[in-house]
Amino acid sequence: MAEGALSIKLRCASWQQLATIYKRDLSRGAIFLRATTPPVIGTSVRIDLALPSATVIVLTGVVHVHVSDPQRGAGVELLLDPIPTGSVWLIESALASEYKRRTTPAQGTPIHGSPQLPGPTPAINDSADVSAAEQDLIKALMSEAESMRKLNPFLVLGVGYEATDAEVRAAFGELTKRYHPDRFARYESAELRNVAEEIFILIRDAYRRLGDAVARTQLLQSLGKPAPAPHALPAPPRPVPLAPPPRTPRAPGREPGPIAVANPTRPAGRDPAASPAPAKRRSLPTQPPPISAPLDVSPLEDLIDQGRLDEALAAYRVMGKQHPHDRNLRAGVELCEGLLALAARDRFEAAQRFEAALEIDPSNERAARQLADMRRQATHERKGLLSRLMGKKEP
Amino acid sequence: MPRIIGIDLGTTNSCVAVLDHRGQPRILVGEAGERTIPSWVSWSAAGQITVGARARRQGITNAEATVYGAKRLIGRKVNADDVSWFARLAPFRIVAAPNGDAWVRVHRQPISPQEVAAHVLRALRKIAEDALGEPVTRAVVTVPAYFDDAQRQATRDAGQIAGLDVVRILNEPTAAALAYGAHRVREGRRVIAVFDLGGGTFDISIMSVENGIFEVLATGGDSALGGDDWDRRMLERVAAEVGRQFHVDLTTTPMAMSRLREACEAAKQTLSIDRETRLSLPFLAEDPRGAPINFERTVTRDQVEGWTKDLLDRLEVPCRRALGDAGVTAGDVEEVLLVGGMTRWPAVADTVERIFHRKPSRGANPDEVVALGAAHYAGILAGESDDAALLDVTPHDLGIKVGDSQFAVVLPRNSMLPVRARRLFATTADNQKFVSIELYQGDSSDITRNRKLGQVVLDDLPPGPAGSARVELVITVNVESILSVTAREIRSGRHASVTIRPSGGLSQREIIEIIRRRQTEHASLGSPFPEPLAGAVRVTTRDHMLSKPDDDDKP
Repeated sequence: MAEGALSIKLRCASWQQLATIYKRDLSRGAIFLRATTPPVIGTSVRIDLALPSATVIVLTGVVHVHVSDPQRGAGVELLLDPIPTGSVWLIESALASEYKRRTTPAQGTPIHGSPQLPGPTPAINDSADVSAAEQDLIKALMSEAESMRKLNPFLVLGVGYEATDAEVRAAFGELTKRYHPDRFARYESAELRNVAEEIFILIRDAYRRLGDAVARTQLLQSLGKPAPAPHALPAPPRPVPLAPPPRTPRAPGREPGPIAVANPTRPAGRDPAASPAPAKRRSLPTQPPPISAPLDVSPLEDLIDQGRLDEALAAYRVMGKQHPHDRNLRAGVELCEGLLALAARDRFEAAQRFEAALEIDPSNERAARQLADMRRQATHERKGLLSRLMGKKEP
Repeated sequence: MPRIIGIDLGTTNSCVAVLDHRGQPRILVGEAGERTIPSWVSWSAAGQITVGARARRQGITNAEATVYGAKRLIGRKVNADDVSWFARLAPFRIVAAPNGDAWVRVHRQPISPQEVAAHVLRALRKIAEDALGEPVTRAVVTVPAYFDDAQRQATRDAGQIAGLDVVRILNEPTAAALAYGAHRVREGRRVIAVFDLGGGTFDISIMSVENGIFEVLATGGDSALGGDDWDRRMLERVAAEVGRQFHVDLTTTPMAMSRLREACEAAKQTLSIDRETRLSLPFLAEDPRGAPINFERTVTRDQVEGWTKDLLDRLEVPCRRALGDAGVTAGDVEEVLLVGGMTRWPAVADTVERIFHRKPSRGANPDEVVALGAAHYAGILAGESDDAALLDVTPHDLGIKVGDSQFAVVLPRNSMLPVRARRLFATTADNQKFVSIELYQGDSSDITRNRKLGQVVLDDLPPGPAGSARVELVITVNVESILSVTAREIRSGRHASVTIRPSGGLSQREIIEIIRRRQTEHASLGSPFPEPLAGAVRVTTRDHMLSKPDDDDKP
């Protein structure tokens, strides 16, 4: 940060307040601050955001535009620098478990979070002890194992149905480096190592079933029948890339934030993940996709593949009205909602949507794969955080 | 995170290494500048224990109480073929423990090879602690690829006795390949051979490497062939020559034989580089008239090669067999790595080149590569480096007894670990009350030739005709080769399970007893180096196991 940065201390008294700030502001990489005498555009600002659990997250950014919002009054819009994944995860996991706590019909605990409310995931802050982070990694690994159990071997390894021997081996190699129990030998928790072992057994079994061309062909044949066969083989659904770090504009057409953040005004070079979305917008067809064969959803899936999620969602809904009992379509709606939520970086919402899609249609590969990818990423982030915590513990 | 050291626990020499702050493996050097120590342990009449080069020197004067080659005995039964071969050869007594394990007897005391190995490990640990200036409690230890579960567990137990938590047992050829960086050469699958000719053993391993994953395809070798044989040939020749020249029998003069052997070993090392050298041994012994023998002689490489030609011939067959077992030809092998001091001998390297049709790769120091590789993997385990992962496989078929003496394989050998297998069984008799599932390990279809690991009994089965009750058996083997077995009757859900740890021959109780004895000995000797209790630094279940008998034993 340049010299003369403004320093601001913000305090979230409740988890709900944090959720609002997170959803409304942080998730789009910007934040609104009320200010009667707004600082000059371009001023650097440092915000110390205190969470209800007393953890402080440091955000930095620059004043981007002066706004006068009818609801929130006059103020400035700050463009934030990329928020470290560790911090994002911290907020998300706190919110997620807080949400769970609220939705589980507890004995009428007051839902209005108060500052004294102990954090639901206790002590996940930088000074927290390693074992809490380990517990959290265990949870992430467990949910990952669970979503992996629902996948066929191709999806477990993350390879296409047309994959060659070399591709299968390469995918297995990559996963081995991440999940082999030796990779968890450094942690104290035996439970952690056991869960990792469970995941690795799934991976090795998948590899054993895909390891050579003969076994693979047999498996493909056996999968051919029960699988929904979204396209004629070979191409399996490619996962829509996970919310690209650190910031993408919200999915077009979804309620824009209070202030549209114009990405192009970002100083050049600061956001390497330039989004391809604007280009896609232009090719928008003026009419919804043709609805001919009642249950052939492949045109819709093509739309998803092309990233035209809004159109896909609309089409699923239209078709769903015509065939209200078709599980494919109902699952498709949830899938699109999930993908949109993901694009809006609302991972919690996305996960719930994918779960819902799977509940409606357990054989929905896209949802299963998205969920598995998200959980894998969650594991990865927790592992990273834990490593850092352990590194910090070094005398 | 405490550091993890890498140890090459060899048949004749041992070595310790660690990953330095730049992530490079580095050999830790002892006080006298030694980079490897002989795996020798000697007990004086007073009970004083010496390890390493000093112990080896005592092998001449105190042969009966000086033990080497403990690695040949560890986790083995005394009636195994190569154990009886070694027992005939070794100057110390090899005896049978009550469970049939091969132990040694020193000063009328039976001592397990685990304890002998622990003395060597303790010496290495001391070298590491002195060099690093911090306590060391965790290690990666290497063993030959063909070691079975018992031998591997016995090696772990030796570590525990020495106060080291053996985090991982690593195959020697894999360690060597890691140290050579064989996993970084290029993308795609490569077949490599690791040719390891050490002091006492010859091992050849054919491996595949891909994406930093190592797989041992086949192993072979000759456990009775090594650099010592070259030394012995030279010693026999030269001693005979001295005998003819001066009319004395040197073999009756241990000191002379000892000096001669050291001279021969040094000459062999010189001849690995030069074509000729000079043996010069003034006052070697006395001739029959009492005059001193001053022995001088020139030896050439050609002469030594002539004396040892048949030893070279013994290298080829195991290599061909290992290639056949791995299902590859010599042409498929992209790289041959040389390990072990004896591979410095030019004729050995030439033989390797002839067998594999390619020039072998030579590391900076073939004596040290295994320890360097172990240190590298220790770094991976500690999270300091992550460019490789090692996949272990089950060394033998694992199965259960069916009928009277048939062996039904549940997990075939070479199954990648960790692994889980399920089998469904039905009752074979009407109103069968219980099933007893016996687990065996081995490669024979005749179960009596295999090793029983344990059994799980599931009783109170629901009554019904034969075949009505179905029992699902689930066997899980983790990376440490620990077996968990669960049997579950499908309809009633009744289940029974058992966890089987590989046994190295010593029970936990015996191990603790050894550690305690060692501690009291230390106390009585007033040693300046207090021995921490094994694994005391790390809070594991092992600690609980350790503390319990202590309490029981209190008077």
